[in-house]
Amino acid sequence: MDFKKVLIAVDGSENSLRAVRYAAAILGGGTGYAVRLVHIERLPERDMFPDESAWSGQCREHSRAMREFLDEAGRVLEAGGLSGGTVCSQYVDSCAARPEGAGDCSHGRNIALEILSIAEREDCGTLVIGRRGVSKAEEFLFGSVSNKLIHHAKDRTVWVVS
Amino acid sequence: MSEEVRGLVERYMPEFPVRRCGRVFTDTTQFMDIGHGDVIALGGLHYLVLKDESERRFGMEDPKYWVKRCRELETGERKILKLVFYERFPLRVGEFEVQCYRSPKKESRILDLVADDPRFMHGATRLDDHDNPVRILDIVQGREIGKYVYALKAGHEAYFREHFPAVLDGFLDACEAIGALHAQGEKHGDIRRDHLFVEYGTGQYRWIDFDYTFDFHENPYGLDIFGLGNILIYCAGKQVWNMGNLGEGGFPAETLNGLGPGDHSLVIRNRVVNLRKLFPYIPAELNNVFMHFSQQTEVFYDTVEEFLDELRPCRGLLG
Repeated sequence: MDFKKVLIAVDGSENSLRAVRYAAAILGGGTGYAVRLVHIERLPERDMFPDESAWSGQCREHSRAMREFLDEAGRVLEAGGLSGGTVCSQYVDSCAARPEGAGDCSHGRNIALEILSIAEREDCGTLVIGRRGVSKAEEFLFGSVSNKLIHHAKDRTVWVVS
Repeated sequence: MSEEVRGLVERYMPEFPVRRCGRVFTDTTQFMDIGHGDVIALGGLHYLVLKDESERRFGMEDPKYWVKRCRELETGERKILKLVFYERFPLRVGEFEVQCYRSPKKESRILDLVADDPRFMHGATRLDDHDNPVRILDIVQGREIGKYVYALKAGHEAYFREHFPAVLDGFLDACEAIGALHAQGEKHGDIRRDHLFVEYGTGQYRWIDFDYTFDFHENPYGLDIFGLGNILIYCAGKQVWNMGNLGEGGFPAETLNGLGPGDHSLVIRNRVVNLRKLFPYIPAELNNVFMHFSQQTEVFYDTVEEFLDELRPCRGLLG
């Protein structure tokens, strides 16, 4: 495992942009780092839309906004001193929006574990994520990606940026 | 009204006054216009509308105009028809508001999934002339679990020793049903006491009403598990025990003084979940399951299976 391979998980929120800025500030001056920006697609629940076209329209909008966010996060890292060649982006599509038999995709049931599996596959020893600052009750009801990452990441360094 | 429908009404419901017979609807989009005496025609069958369903919440009658209590004229069977109502509304969960959506297609999908499973209500979906998916539901003949438990005539200790083991058996079965739903990627969405019935005659526990959905990603089944915990704690306590009614329980002053925030629900903060403090004969292992829903918990159940893994062995500790 290589601690200089850094995975930054983003969800488009201000919290995740803060994590990107923090990582840029810490890593920008160093050498030998490789940063992987990862977004696990979280499409809106299909059942919340009266028809398929309303849902897919919202999905396209979500996808466009998140790809823009990844570009913006990449620019932040480069502005912080990480050269373009050391930063890559990965947008993991939701299986719900993919045709049957498509390659790797996210089932969206446990985003923290999906982030971890990418970290394992890519040998990333450092994980960076923004913290929403949820209460215990909110975590109980709605879950917390950062807390799950902390609990499940073995032998890896996790930066939770508040 | 057509002669055909009039004839059906006269044949199957001779007691129904023909002068009250209204219109025949094949398009249910405007469900507010459909009322007592109207007939909904679907898939070659006719449903005489008797009344709108309603819920009694917080002492108020809350009519559900899109849910019609009907009589299927061709068979004489009582049915509930749920018409399409795309509603987005905030659902209050403790101190939180959750954006909730009413999804007919979700309920239709689950009805198909559980068509042969006695642990759920049954029904079929038929499209009306406007392609609205109308759910035609069999009525579960039974009593809501909360009312069933509350009505058992025994003080708490006698109830807990003599009745609760059987209640727990039924509840475990009901939890396994929810676990089976989750395993297929579906959630119930509205687990509460009035959506779990104890069927008359068979004693089978059966879930109803699964048309709520939410946009949760990291913890898609969290609300269902929260609901199961609430029902379990209610059943073990034989009622909800909260700051408002503890005084009526006849508990010693030192018991009441010994209750702290950590003994209360994590989400509904005035509700006692540490029932062993009120009823010391509750086994510690069972109480430990309740405490996963308390303010002092550091560990949550992520899945129904985790919840059941700790709850199942408690059954053996009871009579």
